[in-house]
Amino acid sequence: MTRKIAFYGKGGIGKSTTQQNVAAAMNHFFDKKVLIHGCDPKADCTRMILGIRMQETVMDTLREFGEDGVTLDTVLKTGYGGIKCVESGGPEPGVGCAGRGVITAINMMEDLGAYSPDLDFVIFDVLGDVVCGGFAMPVREGKAEEIYIVASGEMMALYAANNICKGMVKYAEQSGVRVGGIICNSRNVDGERELMEEFCDIIGTKMIHFVPRDNIVQKAEFNRKTVTEFDDLCTQAQEYRTLAEKIINNTNFVIPTPMEMDEMEKLVIQYGLPD
Amino acid sequence: MPLTNLKCNKCLPERGDHIYIHDAQNPVIPACNIKTLPGDMTERGCAFAGARGVIGGPIVDTIDMVHAPVGCAWYTWGTRRHLSDLYPYVAPGQLANSSFNRRFCVVTDMKEENVVFGGVKKLKESCFESIRLFPEAKAVIIYTTCTTGLIGDDVQAVARQVEKETGIPVFTAESPGCSGVSQSKGHHDFNIQFYRQIRALRERRPELAMQEEEKTPYDVCLIGEYNMDWDLRMIRPLLERLGLRIVSVFTGNERIENLIKMPDVKMNIVHCQRSAEYIADMVKDGYDIPFIRASFFGIEQTSMALRKAAARFGLEEKAEEIIAEETARIEDALDFYRRKLSGKKVAIYVGGPRLWHWIKPMEELGMEVIMGACTFAHDDDYEKINERHKGGMLVIDAPNEFEIEEAIMDLKPDLFLTGLKEKYLIRKMGIPTVNSHSYEKGPYAGFAGFINFARDIYQGIYAPVWKFQDGIAAPGRLAQGGEEK
Repeated sequence: MTRKIAFYGKGGIGKSTTQQNVAAAMNHFFDKKVLIHGCDPKADCTRMILGIRMQETVMDTLREFGEDGVTLDTVLKTGYGGIKCVESGGPEPGVGCAGRGVITAINMMEDLGAYSPDLDFVIFDVLGDVVCGGFAMPVREGKAEEIYIVASGEMMALYAANNICKGMVKYAEQSGVRVGGIICNSRNVDGERELMEEFCDIIGTKMIHFVPRDNIVQKAEFNRKTVTEFDDLCTQAQEYRTLAEKIINNTNFVIPTPMEMDEMEKLVIQYGLPD
Repeated sequence: MPLTNLKCNKCLPERGDHIYIHDAQNPVIPACNIKTLPGDMTERGCAFAGARGVIGGPIVDTIDMVHAPVGCAWYTWGTRRHLSDLYPYVAPGQLANSSFNRRFCVVTDMKEENVVFGGVKKLKESCFESIRLFPEAKAVIIYTTCTTGLIGDDVQAVARQVEKETGIPVFTAESPGCSGVSQSKGHHDFNIQFYRQIRALRERRPELAMQEEEKTPYDVCLIGEYNMDWDLRMIRPLLERLGLRIVSVFTGNERIENLIKMPDVKMNIVHCQRSAEYIADMVKDGYDIPFIRASFFGIEQTSMALRKAAARFGLEEKAEEIIAEETARIEDALDFYRRKLSGKKVAIYVGGPRLWHWIKPMEELGMEVIMGACTFAHDDDYEKINERHKGGMLVIDAPNEFEIEEAIMDLKPDLFLTGLKEKYLIRKMGIPTVNSHSYEKGPYAGFAGFINFARDIYQGIYAPVWKFQDGIAAPGRLAQGGEEK
């Protein structure tokens, strides 16, 4: 049974980094077969797995060669550890409709049978917030059943996480999608862990893992590698291993209870203003 | 090279790839089913029109819920004559000739605020409202369009919710106009999605499939027949006399309950092989049901269709009997029309497959097809055209008005089989037309239908009005028009 999961979170929070490191750890330490479907027009959700930014995105191929040109041979690439990668691609910033691109790309991949039953995990890496119907495509019925929100102990990240939860509540009854937890990608700010735990408590989920900040992540990324590939013995690789393990064994799937704005404000006052 | 180009395409040399003079020794497949060039005022439709207008529209007892701004619905309503005979009760003891599938047009009427905030809620309300308004409807098909496809409304979720609450099966046809190069994409989309949903529905509600005891060894399904002007009244009796039982027709004058039973037959007969062979293919793969290709136009092709169908069931003798009887019945009439029409030159402009359906029938009337054009044909259609024509015919893929005008001016056919929008131009040229999309006084299929076809052609060509309309034949007319050849 393939588990389909999606990663959401505020732009720049480290979704793609976390997601690729998790995928690599799942593969390296637990021998899982993984496919990553990047749903970001920048097409950078698979760069560290492939060792290079994906050159043939679904949308680029569609634009250049038409629908018949989009085949698994052209748009599905295999990277580190046999992890399969596909990137939706999409328009340049400020033009066109990236959301429609996500819809089209996912439909095409389904038609082509990319999400084959022999996979253990299909991971959708989705750009930023759930801004329009297109970016909710990965959580429609029959697609991702569980989502993980990447956040940090900063207010803006929590605002975004809260907002994503609102979207998930809407889709929970339609498609049955559930929140599997919040991944704290630490920014080393004061009281981060406490704030995250409090936040997770209020919205009814749990912090599945606290990923500490470590420069090796950036170093590996600079070398276009995941931490696992770069140095699978380092402590950070073990962190991702733990996170991967927790996701693999996760059974705690909930419909979140997002906060109203004034509740969020109270949380800011409580944790956000030290001294 | 058989590829050629027209004078009007001086600034569009690429159009030359779409135009050829057929040479039987050296047949070519033109560029086709590719995107329209800027500057080419194409007459193609959109994918949504293909799904809603051509395939979904003929189903008689479904609400065709167009999830769109109001204009999308208007332009797909009532334009095609896929006739039907659903007579529901409108009051106790009172039946109505509702022509349900052609009379009503249902749309969510998406507005600015629905686009910004999402149209799912409105769609759901519209579904409930229309189900209340039309108790005769046995299913709903939700169509997305450019607008609703773009904002990503999850219509599948709505379909499921509405079905859950009302018990009425709700299907979706997600084929936004922008999703393909022509209406052909919409045919394809509808085929794939409908098949998948029928399959899922049969698993979900097995009572909707045909029960074992209802099945017979002679069950067939007629795929790609849309009942233009009652073509089915010609085709159905032929197959039934053969001993076959037509369980369902995809989709002309068909009830949804029968369409759900499509996978319960022994064989499929595919008439329109452009818009519906996809589903025959999928049924073959999924349920191991073979299909045959058939054409029910003209004596030879209709006979061949009957023979092919009969061969699968060991009914060859019966087929020959029907063919002999039917040909004898129309012999006299056919002789008359053949005498009158022999030697006439004809041009045909249709959507796709009817060009190759009609090459042989025209020959049977003693006429020659000198020009042909298709709006949305693919490679395999051109292969079939080339197979059936002896050569010398000008073929234009996805023509525009200038190309048609020039071709007609140059070739001066005696008849143009075309649609409504071209007929004014062509009749002003003094050339008769017969409506090839929805017919004049059909049906045209089958043996007797072929006589209707011949009669309409005869009446077109011999109409006294042409005495008063010299058109391009008038002296000095071409000189006035500018370019004398």
